[in-house]
Amino acid sequence: MNLRMLKKVPQELLKPDPGSREMINLINILLSKWNPAGALVLLAVFSTANLQAQGGDKLLIPAGSFHSVLPEVVGEPVRVDSFYLDEVAVTNEDFLEFLQANPRWTRSGIPALYAGSDYLRHWKEDLDPSAKNSTPVTRVSWFAANSYCKWAGGRLPTLNEWEYSAQALDISDAELDRFSFELMGWYSAVDANQAAPVGSTGIENRYGVKDQFGLIMEWVEDFKPVLGSEISLDCGTVGRMQNGSGIYSYAASVRYITRMSFNAKSTTGMLGFRCAYDIDQTKRLEEQLP
Amino acid sequence: MTLLNKTTAFLIVMAATFFTAQAQSSEYTIDGMTFGMPEAEVYTEDYDGPPVVGEYFTMLPTLKPLEYEGNKHHEVRLDAMVQEIEVADGVRYRAWTFGGTVPGPTLHVKEGDRITFTMKNRSDEPVVITEPGTEGSPFLEQVRDNNFMDAHPAIMPMPHSMDFHAGTVAKDDKWRTISPGETIKFDWVANYPGTYIYHCGTPSVLMHTAMGQHGVVVVSPKDGFETDDQVDREYVVVQSEYYLEKGAGELYQYDFEAAQNVNPSHVVFNGHQTILHDQPLEANEGERVRIHFSNNGPSGTSSFHVIGAIFDRVWMEGHPFNEMRGMQTVLLGASGSAVVEFIVPEEGSYILIDHEFADAEKGATGTLKAGPRQ
Repeated sequence: MNLRMLKKVPQELLKPDPGSREMINLINILLSKWNPAGALVLLAVFSTANLQAQGGDKLLIPAGSFHSVLPEVVGEPVRVDSFYLDEVAVTNEDFLEFLQANPRWTRSGIPALYAGSDYLRHWKEDLDPSAKNSTPVTRVSWFAANSYCKWAGGRLPTLNEWEYSAQALDISDAELDRFSFELMGWYSAVDANQAAPVGSTGIENRYGVKDQFGLIMEWVEDFKPVLGSEISLDCGTVGRMQNGSGIYSYAASVRYITRMSFNAKSTTGMLGFRCAYDIDQTKRLEEQLP
Repeated sequence: MTLLNKTTAFLIVMAATFFTAQAQSSEYTIDGMTFGMPEAEVYTEDYDGPPVVGEYFTMLPTLKPLEYEGNKHHEVRLDAMVQEIEVADGVRYRAWTFGGTVPGPTLHVKEGDRITFTMKNRSDEPVVITEPGTEGSPFLEQVRDNNFMDAHPAIMPMPHSMDFHAGTVAKDDKWRTISPGETIKFDWVANYPGTYIYHCGTPSVLMHTAMGQHGVVVVSPKDGFETDDQVDREYVVVQSEYYLEKGAGELYQYDFEAAQNVNPSHVVFNGHQTILHDQPLEANEGERVRIHFSNNGPSGTSSFHVIGAIFDRVWMEGHPFNEMRGMQTVLLGASGSAVVEFIVPEEGSYILIDHEFADAEKGATGTLKAGPRQ
C-alpha cells in the first residue's frame, strides 16, 4: 500500500488525548505480545505513586504541528498540544536517585517481567553506576523508564511529542540535509561503549531541548504506534514510509522503524529516555512548592 | 434452540475463529517438497556460547563436503553481532554481521534437508568470534587460524532479522525482526538445490545489507551434478559492495548517499578488496574447478568472468536443470548466483573478475594460482 494514497485517517489515532493515553498503552503492550491486562495491573501495583520533583530544567514546548513519516491526513499535519519536556536525557546520577528511593527497580530487584537480563548491565552494582554520572542512563526497559517518569512527577513523552520537539530545528533545508547525513552516519557508526555526557552534542531545538539526536535513542510512551501496525516491518518499509525522497525523511524512517522494533522489556546500550510533563501536572507541582 | 444455546454456539464459533486465526498450518508435501513449518519462537536466553554452531558452517572460500547419505536435520546457530573489520588496506568500519565476518559463514546442506535455525541478536554485547571456544563449527577454527579481517568486537545495538533465500516460509513469521537481546528460532526445509543468499531483512534493508549482513547457503542437489566425480577443486566466491566514507575518527562509516545512488566505494570478492590476491584460490593445470558464485549485492550486478578460461558448465542459480555450456561471462543481478566450472588450461595465474570494469577497479577481482599438471 502506498501510504501517500491514504486519504483519511481517524484523527484520534494520530493524536492521543490524555484520556485515551491509557488505551494507547494497553494497545502497545498488546502489540508487543504481552498479556495486556496482567501486565498493566502488575505495573500499576508495582509502580510507586508518590510524585517527586526532579532536578534538571523542564522546558515548555508550545502547541503546534509537524509532519510525521507515519501516514497522515493529506494536508493535515500532526497537531501536538503544549507540554513540558526535560532539557536533557535522564542521567545515571538521576536514575541512581530513583533506584535509591525504589530499590524494586534495581538490577537485582526488577522482576524478569519488566526487563531482560541486560538491564543496567554496565553498572558496577545495584546502586553503583560507576564513574559516568553525567552520561545518559541506558539499558533501561520501557517499564523502568515509565516508572521513573511517574516517580519524577511526569510521564514518557508520546511519540508525536518527542518527534515534534526533535524536529523543531531552526535550520535551512540545506543544513537539514547535511545534518541528516551526519545522523545516518551516526546510526551506522555509533559506539555504545563511548557514552558522552548529556548536553554535549551541541544539537538543540528552538526551545532549548538538547541532544534529541546524536547521543542516544529514547523511549517514548507509544513506541509501537497504532498506525505503525499498518506498516509491516520489511524490506520496502523505508520506501513506503518516506515523506518525500530526502535524506531527512530517510533518517526519520530509520528512527521510527528502530523504535517500533523494540518491545517493552528491551534494553540496549543506545536506548535511554527523558520525561515529559502535562501542563496542569507541572502547575500542580509548582503549587506544592513552598 | 434456546437463547442460552445460541449464545454458547456463538461463543464457540468466536473461539474457534480466534484459535484458527492463531494456528499455524501443519506440514504438507507437494512434488516431494515439504512446506508448512511450525511458528517461529522469539524468546530471551542467557547465551554466551559460540556465535556460530553447525558442522557445515565454513569460512569463504571453502565448502565442507557433505559426509552423509540421504537427508539430515541440521541444528545450527548464527548470531547477529557487531565487529570492527578491515575490508581494504587501511579501511576499517564497524560491520553489522552474521557470525562476525562479511560475508557471514557459508552453510552447506543437501536438497531436502531440514534446518532448525537459531539466532540471537547480540548487537549490544562485545562478542569475540572465537570465544568461548572454536568447537562450535569449522568456521570458528578457520577464523582463529586466518582472521584476515582482523575482527574485533564492537557494540551497536540495532534490530535485526534473518532471511534465507533457500527457505520457503511466511516471512512475517520466520524472517521477523528481533530486538537486541532477543533470540529467534525457526525451521525451514531446503526444497530447492542452489546457491542462495541469506541477509538481514530489517528496514532499512539497504543499510543492513550494505553494513555487512549477508552470506550464502549452498544447497547441493540430492542427485548431484553430472560432473561431480570429475571436480578437483570446489570453492565459494561471493561478490558484494561496500558504501563507506571516512568518519570523524580513524574508522569508515556508511555513506547513505552513495548507497542510494549505487555508487559503491568498494566492490569486493569474499568481503575484502585484496583477500583473493593475498590468499589466491589454488588448482593445477588440467584440473576441473567448480565455483559457487553469488552476487550478494546489495544493489549492483556482476558479470563474472575468469580471464584465460571458459566456463565449461554453468548451472544458473546452482540448479542442475539450468545448465549452460561454453559461457565466457555470467551476468547476475543482485542476489543471483551460479555454479560455474572450468578446466584450468595451463600452469599460471588466472584472474577472477567482474567484467563490469568499474566494479573490477573498485576491487572485484581475485586470483586463481595454478600449479603444474599432476
